[in-house]
Amino acid sequence: MSRVSDSETTAPDSDTIPRGYYGVPVIHRPHWKWLVIAYFFFGGIAGATAAIGGIARLMGGRRNASIARVAAYLSLATLIPCPPLLILDLRRPGRFLNMLRVVNPTSPMSIGSWGLAVFGAITTASALLQALADMPGRERDGDDTLARAQRALAPLSAGGGFFIAGYTGVILSATAVPLWSKRPALLAPLFLASAMASGSASITLAAAIIGDGARGAERVHDLEAMASVAEAVLLFAWIASLGSTAKPLLEGRDGTVVRHGVVGAGTLAPLVAAAMSRSRRGRARRALTIVGSAAALVGGFALRYVVIAGGHASADDPQATFDITG
Amino acid sequence: MAMEATTAYGFLTDATLCIGCKACEVACKQWNQLPADDGPDGPCALTGFSYDNTVDLGATTWRHVAFIERREPGGIAWLMLSDVCKHCVHAGCLDACPTGAIVRTEFDTVVIQDDICNGCGYCVPACPFGVPQIDHADGGSHKCTLCYDRLLGGLMPACAKACPTESIRFGVVDELREAGRERVAALRAEGRSDIHFYGGEELGGTGGIAGLNAMFILNAPPDAFNLPARPRLPRANIRPAALAALAASAGFLIAAAMTFRGES
Repeated sequence: MSRVSDSETTAPDSDTIPRGYYGVPVIHRPHWKWLVIAYFFFGGIAGATAAIGGIARLMGGRRNASIARVAAYLSLATLIPCPPLLILDLRRPGRFLNMLRVVNPTSPMSIGSWGLAVFGAITTASALLQALADMPGRERDGDDTLARAQRALAPLSAGGGFFIAGYTGVILSATAVPLWSKRPALLAPLFLASAMASGSASITLAAAIIGDGARGAERVHDLEAMASVAEAVLLFAWIASLGSTAKPLLEGRDGTVVRHGVVGAGTLAPLVAAAMSRSRRGRARRALTIVGSAAALVGGFALRYVVIAGGHASADDPQATFDITG
Repeated sequence: MAMEATTAYGFLTDATLCIGCKACEVACKQWNQLPADDGPDGPCALTGFSYDNTVDLGATTWRHVAFIERREPGGIAWLMLSDVCKHCVHAGCLDACPTGAIVRTEFDTVVIQDDICNGCGYCVPACPFGVPQIDHADGGSHKCTLCYDRLLGGLMPACAKACPTESIRFGVVDELREAGRERVAALRAEGRSDIHFYGGEELGGTGGIAGLNAMFILNAPPDAFNLPARPRLPRANIRPAALAALAASAGFLIAAAMTFRGES
């Protein structure tokens, strides 16, 4: 091979001369798609509701106990689809138990698998205790043992819940995908905030549907608003700090999903609904709650979707990889 | 020659000696019984952009010969390089594997145990070089084993054995690294421009990867061969991500406690 001329090799301007090999991606994208997006969504809710319920239980009081009650059931209900989703996503599903074959501290997926197994036990126990407490005639008994068991479990629910709500962002951060790996300290909190927003929205949604039986859950509205705002702030900070790496989140169909789904449905709609419901009572207030909470859940799903889809686009773009490895 | 356990073995692949014959690709596929690649238009599709129809490393291509045609004053220049798994000193795939399927062998190489891998796919985006890939046929993740079975039998890897120009050299990593640096110095002394050693702490083995056991001598910038100049070990992101998530959790814990306060 002959010498390569200087004009072609001296520090090409990345805006004008594309670096790379015929546009072939430098890294491989993962196969994760809808099953993983759905897991991130349901797992986030299961974790966040367990965290909120656990904290409500620890704070004591009748209305907080009502929050903890709804949260305990919701957490289990949203956790149940998670293992099947994860197992079906494996390309060799029959070997799912190999996830618990070793503990690999450098693999967020390994730690997450163990965490999910432990969290599953905590959440199942928490829902079972709640079911026992809800059995007819139980309330008048004043069963101290049951109440003590629930209180003892509450910190585990809270800790495990935060772990499940947050570790998925760590999984994505610990890859070579430019979109996921460039700002780990923002992506992981963004996932956590989104999980908290979705989790509190699912509690307020369930409470609005149930009605009287879950009156205390009204207080979760404030938490939902806070989480929504935190999610929006982190999203803006994340996108702004990514620079050109954020391209997949700003263009095309995924850009539309970010603007209308994540920001519009996920942040603005619930805040507007909450503001409107302050001056209303009864059915109108309930309807606004249902609309606002459902919109927040749509936004939470949209965030999981665009982060995965954007990661695929980012992995497929050799320039994005060169921009962070130059 | 007998391979000694606990000795680090690797490759030194020299782009200045490669003639683009692809004997390494063929020998690798034959020894490891790998099928032809599926292209976008079915098996054995032609890319049309280069004398390269395997395109990149993947589940069924563990040696890939990059073939670049460049227009230059006075004619055309060809750049050729046989790419392969880097068998990183700190390997992203090995860090990411949740099942323990990916192991470091007694030869300091990185191998996926096919009977353990459950096809979770985490090693795929965790490799900064785009090496392992899930095979759509069997669902497992696959990559170069540095011919682990041949090493056990005292044979050098098939690609190195087949290379007619010694562009692919197999040997003890420390010796290859020294030979590589000497070769780079010699080429530069000859007046060759744009000669790089890829696989050390300054190029290729950067960002916590701590060096590559499969090294390269390049005659163009790394990105011309689709090699990242300064890749990072993905594991390095775990700490900032986890700490930030922990801080956010603490924030929400306080926010929730404040919200639920004041009741008896």
